[in-house]
Amino acid sequence: MTRLIALMRREFWEHKSAFRTAPLVIGGIHIALLLKAIFTTAHIDNELYTFKEGVRALAQQSADFRSAHFQEAIIASSVFFTIVLSFVVFFYLLGALFDDRKDRSILFWKSMPASDVLTVASKLLTAMVVVPVMFWLVFIVTQVLMAVIASIMIMSVGENPWTLFLILVNPIGPWLMVLFSYLASAIWFLPLYGWLLFTSSFAPRIPVLFAIIPPVIFAVLQLWIEFLRTFTLNTSLFGLVGEWVSNSPAILTIQVHDGDAELAYGWVGAGTFDHAITVGNIIDRLFSLQMLYGLLIAAVFLAGAVWMRRRATDS
Amino acid sequence: MNPIISARGLTKRFGRTVAADQVDLDIAAGKIVGLIGPNGAGKTTVMKAILGLTTFEGELDVLGLNPSKQRAALMEDVCFIADVAVLPRWIRVWQLVELTGKLHPKFSKETCLQYLSKTKISQQQKVKQLSKGMVTQLHLALVMAIDVKLLVLDEPTLGLDILYRKQFYSNLLNDYFDEERTILITTHQVEEVEHILTDLVFIDNGKIALNCGMDEVEARYTELMVAPANANAARALGPMNERELFGRHIFLFEDADRETLKQLGELHTPSVADLFVATMSGEMA
Repeated sequence: MTRLIALMRREFWEHKSAFRTAPLVIGGIHIALLLKAIFTTAHIDNELYTFKEGVRALAQQSADFRSAHFQEAIIASSVFFTIVLSFVVFFYLLGALFDDRKDRSILFWKSMPASDVLTVASKLLTAMVVVPVMFWLVFIVTQVLMAVIASIMIMSVGENPWTLFLILVNPIGPWLMVLFSYLASAIWFLPLYGWLLFTSSFAPRIPVLFAIIPPVIFAVLQLWIEFLRTFTLNTSLFGLVGEWVSNSPAILTIQVHDGDAELAYGWVGAGTFDHAITVGNIIDRLFSLQMLYGLLIAAVFLAGAVWMRRRATDS
Repeated sequence: MNPIISARGLTKRFGRTVAADQVDLDIAAGKIVGLIGPNGAGKTTVMKAILGLTTFEGELDVLGLNPSKQRAALMEDVCFIADVAVLPRWIRVWQLVELTGKLHPKFSKETCLQYLSKTKISQQQKVKQLSKGMVTQLHLALVMAIDVKLLVLDEPTLGLDILYRKQFYSNLLNDYFDEERTILITTHQVEEVEHILTDLVFIDNGKIALNCGMDEVEARYTELMVAPANANAARALGPMNERELFGRHIFLFEDADRETLKQLGELHTPSVADLFVATMSGEMA
């Protein structure tokens, strides 16, 4: 256990700029956008409002309206974090078993009494837990800062931030929902993580090409053959991956529900699960047959990654 | 006494090339063994097999373990420096010390910091900011702070200047080596290590060409330097090898009668480098 934690710390040290600086930059962008809205103008329902006008208009809305919208806004501002998080995890996993082969430091790591299973596990757990939690923490800090800045500015235009929004919104629920969605997505995307680690473990160079080109060729051939056979474009690896993303428990899109736009899991309009953001809908996904197949595929890829790692040296 | 390393029929193929061909090798505890061979002779392959970095055919036993299956367990008692500059470049010195301490149960942080304090390396520096010589000093400080039974060095001083090279070996001998420990070294710079070796292994074309103690080398091999007039007489005694230096002929003999040779010219103990050249050119002829 000590060794696993030590290896995960190593991952954090090596990728500090991706794991810590990247979310901080997004947090900074959020705050910059808030300041821009405060000091210039903001678009609300296709009309330009100054900050003062906006706050007045908001104060005239009912408490229920404000409560619901702020709740939604908390989750909505996670989307930008989520997208960058997915890029960071993608490239981290591609480099995880490749970089030290390239710079030959694998010879140093292999001189340490840490097994190859432990090494691969440390990289997988870093992608599944350490990186999402880092992003989540920065996400929360950003929101607290934004609330503080907004409150001060609201007071400066003569409104009361307490009654306007602070006592109406309990952020803990939405925050925990975002964290749960991150961790559930990490499990949901395990087959993809496994594939990326596997490519990273054997690619002689540029792992991203090895990760993308073979599946694309495979899918194109599949589509072509399927088309020749049936003259329809139907199931293929593309379709499968697309459906997987559509079904994922990551909060990514907006769906219209009872005339109201609300955030949703995955890709609305495709997939086989309910997209509404509830804990139950995540549980449904994690205990589905798809998930079970996914875990089996992930196990095969991860075993392949460990097998390759065991044989890997600098050349 | 049980050997620390014991190989029987160790073979490794890369496609059609045979990098190690039926190697039999025993290395006892408390030795400093030089594994010496030309480029592509299979030195690194044998080393990698011993360290569990490659698969192989045949039997190999290192400290009672099978390296290809039990690398992690083996690394508790074996350490290696695989040439310079394989330390991760992004890491800071303090992070490296910290990590090694967490990963290796036999690492002493105090000892390591003590060695480091004798160098110009500072804890906050990243490895990529260090010179090649300093990286080697750092790696050596880490390795010397680990209490292991076998230390493997693969071209540890490649590309270093003479000051660092001398210091490297003197640190190794004075502060590290004792009867409990075994050191296995491969290098091209034979002159540098010959006075510290206790045993010599030549490897060529994946086969062991010579395997003996340094005292045995002195007993078995003799170098004879003669004037041109005596060259034919010397040649008649069947030397392994002949070369010319400043008009004098130098012959290398194996198991020759020293009394007979003495009458032809001066006798010396051959250097490892000369012995190496003689052995290898014999193979090539």
